[in-house]
Amino acid sequence: MSTTTEGVDLVGEEVVGNLARAALFAALTGVFAYVSFQLPVTSVPFTLQVLGVFLAGVFLGPVWGAASMAIYVAAGAVGAPVFAGGGAGLGSLFGPWGGYLWSYPFAAGVVGLGVHGAGELVDPGDASLARLVGAMAAATLVVYAFGTAGYALVNDVSLATAVLVAAVPFVPAEAIKAAAAVAVVRSDAVVAR
Amino acid sequence: MLAYDPGESAAHRLDARTKLLVQTAFAAAAFAHTTPSGLAALTALAVVLLAGSATPVRTALAEFRVVLPLLAAGPIVEALRLGAPWVEPTAAVAPALASYRSLLLLGLAAAYVRTTPVRESEAAVSWLVPGRPGRLLGVGVGLVFRLLPVLQADLARTREAMRARLGDERPLRDRVRIVTTAGLNRVLGRTDRLAVALRARCLSWNPTPPPSSLDRGDAVAAALAAGLLAWAVWPAGAV
Repeated sequence: MSTTTEGVDLVGEEVVGNLARAALFAALTGVFAYVSFQLPVTSVPFTLQVLGVFLAGVFLGPVWGAASMAIYVAAGAVGAPVFAGGGAGLGSLFGPWGGYLWSYPFAAGVVGLGVHGAGELVDPGDASLARLVGAMAAATLVVYAFGTAGYALVNDVSLATAVLVAAVPFVPAEAIKAAAAVAVVRSDAVVAR
Repeated sequence: MLAYDPGESAAHRLDARTKLLVQTAFAAAAFAHTTPSGLAALTALAVVLLAGSATPVRTALAEFRVVLPLLAAGPIVEALRLGAPWVEPTAAVAPALASYRSLLLLGLAAAYVRTTPVRESEAAVSWLVPGRPGRLLGVGVGLVFRLLPVLQADLARTREAMRARLGDERPLRDRVRIVTTAGLNRVLGRTDRLAVALRARCLSWNPTPPPSSLDRGDAVAAALAAGLLAWAVWPAGAV
């Protein structure tokens, strides 16, 4: 019987901390997929996933924010029930709403870049209102560009129909989510560690 | 809720990687042959695959009942016209086929989730994405599986507390903000403990992988996947 010996190559302290944060934000985004509110007047139900994307970008920065959302998408693809309504599996990624899911890592990266810039991470509470709002508006654009293109492609409908079915009903909800994210980041209720 | 269901079916014995490969090949074939005859053939195959994974069709459909109305919306909106004749059924054919294709893919995904334990999925992710990013992705995926119920309970408690205090009557923006603040604080509070726990368990770049279990069943499934991929790249008109 042969045995092989190999040294243990420990993961560095900083990477472990970032990995823990990234995994927790991915899980939080997954939980947000279950939290459903109804818009007043239209009563379109919406979930808070995109809020998770915003927060990952704001608190983790461009690199780890994108990594966190990649973990979220990968976990959903291999079966964690983290997509809207408890969905999971590769089928969701190729499904009509898959475009939205593919966009999350990019959108989190956009938010991170907008808030922190390319260099060292800054305290998100210190970021100016214009920066926060601009970053989230840009990320929302990314999410909807991927989402409607994906819907049009997968469902074989025209782009106009895709916008009508997959984007227009949800835009007011995005504004509420962005407002909530800004309020949370700038309040004293949350202390980033 | 969609979750692993222990069992003895053929799909339970397959390696997670093989099952992911079959799903990808099935998706490729479905996208290449979104025609009535192509989808009919794939439906027959999907029924066989579901039967081989102890997932009744009814169960698979029930898992995705939330998505079903959304799948129906595409063809309906596409068929409507803003003037006479108001409804044009022919325009709905392609979107309807596409919606049906999505249904097939979701059904297979349900079968995968019900037959694959988390640990194997985690190892499959680490194997599919090479090097250190793959290792981090694998650990991250495993952590999401474990943390999801914990955070779910956290948020459920928050919403319950909010309801008890008539929080339901607050404006929507306030409700979203309260739930977010609570969720975020729980997450930030758990981060340090999780990082310490990971270090205490000597999280390393080179863990011992779980024993590989590729056997004859996996060879059959891989052959099926190869067949589907070949069919996918075959020109649609030639068959």
